[in-house]
Amino acid sequence: MTDDFDGELGFEPAVPATGAEPSAAARGPQRRPTLRRKLAAAAVLTGALGAMGGSYAAFAASSGAANQPSSAQQIAEGRQLFENSCITCHGANLQGVVGRGPTLLGVGGAAAYFQVSTGRMPLAQQGPEANRKPPMFTEAQTEALAAYVQSVGGGTAAPTGNLRGSSADIAVGGDLFRLNCASCHGVTFKGAPLSAGKYAPSLYPSTDKQMYTAMLTGPESMPVFSDNQITPDQKKAIIAYVQNIKASKDPGGEGIGRIGPVSEAVVIWVAGVGALMIAILWIGAKSQ
Amino acid sequence: MTEVNYGNSPSADELRSMSPEEAMIAGAEVDGVHIVHRRERFPVRGSKAEKRAERAVAACFAIAGLAGVGFIVAFIAVPFHWHLPGTPQDFKYFTPAVGGTLALMLLFFGVGLVLWAKWLMPEEEVVQDRHDDPSKVEDQMMTEATLAVGLEDTGIRRRSVLLLSVLGAGGALATVPLVYLVGSLLKRPGTTLFHTMFQRNTKLFPQSKGMVPIVYSDWRQVSPDDLLPGGLATVFPGVRQPSEGYDGVHNASSPTLLIRLRPGQVVHPRKGQADFGWPKQNPQYIAFSKICTHAGCPASLYEQQTGRLLCPCHQSQFDVLSDAKPVFGPATRSLPKLPLEVLTGKDGRLYFYARSDYHEPIGPGFWERP
Amino acid sequence: MTTTSPVTNPPRRTQPRTPAGKMGKFVDDRLNVAGPLRKQLNKVFPDHWSFMMGEIALYSFIVLLLTGTFLTFFFDPSQTEVVYNGRYVPMQGIEMSRAYASTLDISFDVRGGLVIRQIHHWAALMFVAAMMIHMFRVFFTGAFRKPREFNWLIGLGLLALGIVEGFAGYSLPDDLLSGTGLRIADAIMLSIPVVGTWVSFLVFGGTFPGHIFLDRLYIAHVLLIPGIILALISAHLALVVRQKHSQFPGNGRTEHQVSGERVYPIYAAKAGGFFFIVFAALAALGAFAQINPIWLFGPYQPSQVSSGSQPDWYMMFLDGSTRLFPSWEIRLWGHTLPPLFWPTVVLPGILGAMAALYPFIEARMTRDYQHHNLLQRPRDVPVRTSLGLMAITFYVVLFLSGGNDIIAHVFDISLNAMTWGGRIALLILPPIAYAATYRICLGLQRHDREVLEHGIETGIIKVLPTGEYIEVHQPLGPTDDHGHGLLEYSGTPVPKRMNQLGVMSPVKLIRGFFYPVTEKPELQAAIDEADAAETSQRQHQLTE
Repeated sequence: MTDDFDGELGFEPAVPATGAEPSAAARGPQRRPTLRRKLAAAAVLTGALGAMGGSYAAFAASSGAANQPSSAQQIAEGRQLFENSCITCHGANLQGVVGRGPTLLGVGGAAAYFQVSTGRMPLAQQGPEANRKPPMFTEAQTEALAAYVQSVGGGTAAPTGNLRGSSADIAVGGDLFRLNCASCHGVTFKGAPLSAGKYAPSLYPSTDKQMYTAMLTGPESMPVFSDNQITPDQKKAIIAYVQNIKASKDPGGEGIGRIGPVSEAVVIWVAGVGALMIAILWIGAKSQ
Repeated sequence: MTEVNYGNSPSADELRSMSPEEAMIAGAEVDGVHIVHRRERFPVRGSKAEKRAERAVAACFAIAGLAGVGFIVAFIAVPFHWHLPGTPQDFKYFTPAVGGTLALMLLFFGVGLVLWAKWLMPEEEVVQDRHDDPSKVEDQMMTEATLAVGLEDTGIRRRSVLLLSVLGAGGALATVPLVYLVGSLLKRPGTTLFHTMFQRNTKLFPQSKGMVPIVYSDWRQVSPDDLLPGGLATVFPGVRQPSEGYDGVHNASSPTLLIRLRPGQVVHPRKGQADFGWPKQNPQYIAFSKICTHAGCPASLYEQQTGRLLCPCHQSQFDVLSDAKPVFGPATRSLPKLPLEVLTGKDGRLYFYARSDYHEPIGPGFWERP
Repeated sequence: MTTTSPVTNPPRRTQPRTPAGKMGKFVDDRLNVAGPLRKQLNKVFPDHWSFMMGEIALYSFIVLLLTGTFLTFFFDPSQTEVVYNGRYVPMQGIEMSRAYASTLDISFDVRGGLVIRQIHHWAALMFVAAMMIHMFRVFFTGAFRKPREFNWLIGLGLLALGIVEGFAGYSLPDDLLSGTGLRIADAIMLSIPVVGTWVSFLVFGGTFPGHIFLDRLYIAHVLLIPGIILALISAHLALVVRQKHSQFPGNGRTEHQVSGERVYPIYAAKAGGFFFIVFAALAALGAFAQINPIWLFGPYQPSQVSSGSQPDWYMMFLDGSTRLFPSWEIRLWGHTLPPLFWPTVVLPGILGAMAALYPFIEARMTRDYQHHNLLQRPRDVPVRTSLGLMAITFYVVLFLSGGNDIIAHVFDISLNAMTWGGRIALLILPPIAYAATYRICLGLQRHDREVLEHGIETGIIKVLPTGEYIEVHQPLGPTDDHGHGLLEYSGTPVPKRMNQLGVMSPVKLIRGFFYPVTEKPELQAAIDEADAAETSQRQHQLTE
């Protein structure tokens, strides 16, 4: 139930809350006793809920109001947070402060959500690239901030509701991912260096909503992918692909980081050649 | 191999009177192999140490056999069908179980054999004579003479016409297969490398005066509205008619990057290509070949803030704001720029077309390229 | 021979009675092999551990043949487009070539197919790696010298073919990574002056990727190249048998003999056992380490690419040289000589030529045209050793640069800095490696001589009556009047520590670990007697 990258990156595992995928389960011969399957399904659900934790509850509360404008109370809470934590760099009216931070007028709630929920904002220090950090605000606070930024400056609003396509969309999402996203993030979502110290981050810590808002707003070096170019359904399909592959186990043993030939080179020289060197030393040694 | 006899080979009668070991040593001597030192690992048979060694070797083979049984069980019993996450990912045990038992079986069989040799077979120090000096002078002389006389017998030195004709025939025999193979495999490159499927085609696209529509990979036509500032799309010529077996979306020469610049980003165009973007004055949209001019990888790591484009294969970097001029890495030439045109479609929306093909060959350089 | 001469029966051995004897006679009556067979059974192999590196390569190749044959039962190299409908859900409904689809089938629909695929791929990496370390062993010990130059050349040919075969192998599945590699290979062909485009069109049957290339590559991969490799391996081994193995100098070892163990039965058991150990190591890698997960890469599309695209390790040095090479393009008289030509065609050509010519260059420079069957310790030939280390350093910088984007990403270094670092390192590190190795070789040589002259440091400190502290040295042999050793250096390792003087067998220690090995009294007496007899015999030999 645990994700390989859970401990490493300290983020929630990308397990789909939908539970068992019926078509795949029905395909193979059913060897597993019913009780065990039920237990396993229960474990899936419990694990998913447990991992999502309190943040999931908060998210559910806000997504209950899907397609409705943010409440005045939420905006007020966001304003409070903004004035406490963001105002020094982005200014009292989101107009920005020269030499400190850009204007937030027109960037929209989606961008605000992405920057704050990934911990990039508040910024730790100026550099070629803002780095992912543990977020400073809870999910509800982040939503409130996004609602506030949206209400003042307008722009692209943060999406709500389910942002992950169904398992039927995974293959299409994979193709779109390889065409539009893999050039930077890599086919195994590891990220890659860009020019002169900039980089495309790993997608392993990313949530559905973070990926969606990133595509929508093009944070940092990332290009913008509008809804006309990659439709919302296509975006959800891409997210479904990424989250499913992230959560899937490697069928061929240890994935050695899913890095490809470089880690394979390390393994063959260190483990493979190393083990056989020990073997020949042993065989060649005089006995007794 | 030069045959050398070592001493006198013992007679059959002598051999009959020898023990097998003595006969073996005698045979080795005949072959120039001298057994200098030979000692049983356990000079006294049946000692505890010997039995222990024997048991250890036997245990290795037994483990190998058990691992083989384990392999068969694992191969049949462990589930291996791939499932989406959310269902039990039990298939991940199949490869380690099957491969692991296989490795265990092989390992203990191999270790058993080596231990057998190291612990139970006699210790020996054997010296074999080498005979790698050049051949004896006599041998060399006789062989040389044989070769010379043989050559003389053919009379080829005297019969110069024969020599010439046979050389000619030999040359033909050697050349014909080569010509056959290369000739049948050869294809004339012609001008294929000089154009792409963006070439104007009035037959297919009469409404747009032959200008090729620009589409996404799912054949939707590309509209300027689709891209937001800082946006990037991989686009293709909307030609469904295959050329060399591949249509516009799958053709290796056609992938193109359509970029919408951010407000304030200004392109410094190359000579003669100032109006390739759209709008023609102060263009916001520009399109470059996605195929790197260095080694042909899709150069598509685009940093929308700086306008840098990076190729993931050899890290050539191009500055989109200087018309994709190479600024770092091994690439030497700018990415070819596609002349854009915008026409109104039947639904009233604006759509991108290629005004003409690229003005230079796309992709890596080649000899015929000017 | 006349009919009148009396008929004499040739001396005949008595008719064999055992089944094995009957079988032997049956074969020998027809093939007359008793003599030659005994000669081969008695052939002597030296048993130094470093002589087994080539065996790793040989056994990896056998594993490749076995697993590769299995894979041919399921693989279809066709480039025809199909819609995938197999068991791997994230690819269902995607258009792909049959080559890619059948590789997915091997991985997900053939029971146990993935294990074999992974063993095959790991064996390919091991094959080239083992050839390379075997080559290093041959180089640094001078085993390539006369009379073994032919085998050095055959070995180089095998290494080159192994690399080509590996590249062909990982290009076959037609996944995104291998397609990217093939496209670069096409660009390399295009970069050749004058004939480049013709070569590319000949190979691909038109413009890249064409429709026939994978079928051709498949035949090359499973028949043509393995056939040539097999022939070259046979020649390589035949020459080893013909010329006999080289060996390190040691007591009683000369240029005119080879000492070790006979093929039958000891060496055969060890080598046979080692084959299974190599197979086991490759099977374990295939079992526990996932290699080339093509289902994550997706089918090849010319418009798609993944960051972090690398070739397999043996091609990585070419990728590195391509990344480091500056952007120099020559344009003359309406023609282009692309920058790709130098690091991918010229550089490997020069490296290969230098390696091929090295035995002849060294013989000429040192004026050494003698037969050599005894090997040299690397420290005793500092120039060669330093040249070798210099070449390896050059290679390693290129190799690391082939993965410089991964290194940059993992260690958070600027990519541009990695490229410049590689360029600078490529120029300055090899000479540094040369100088450092040269000094180290000389230092080791001097230390050997010093120990021979003054003996081994015992760690025992003595205070002389004068108050001077000295360390007691244990001489290795007879000394002269001044206490200086009389032993000459003879190209063999010199013991440097006291515990290297006796023989300590770890096996013996383990055997008596839990409880002492005690035998029955009468057996113990016999063992003691045998040991005593042997000891006295040894001493007798020594005094002779």
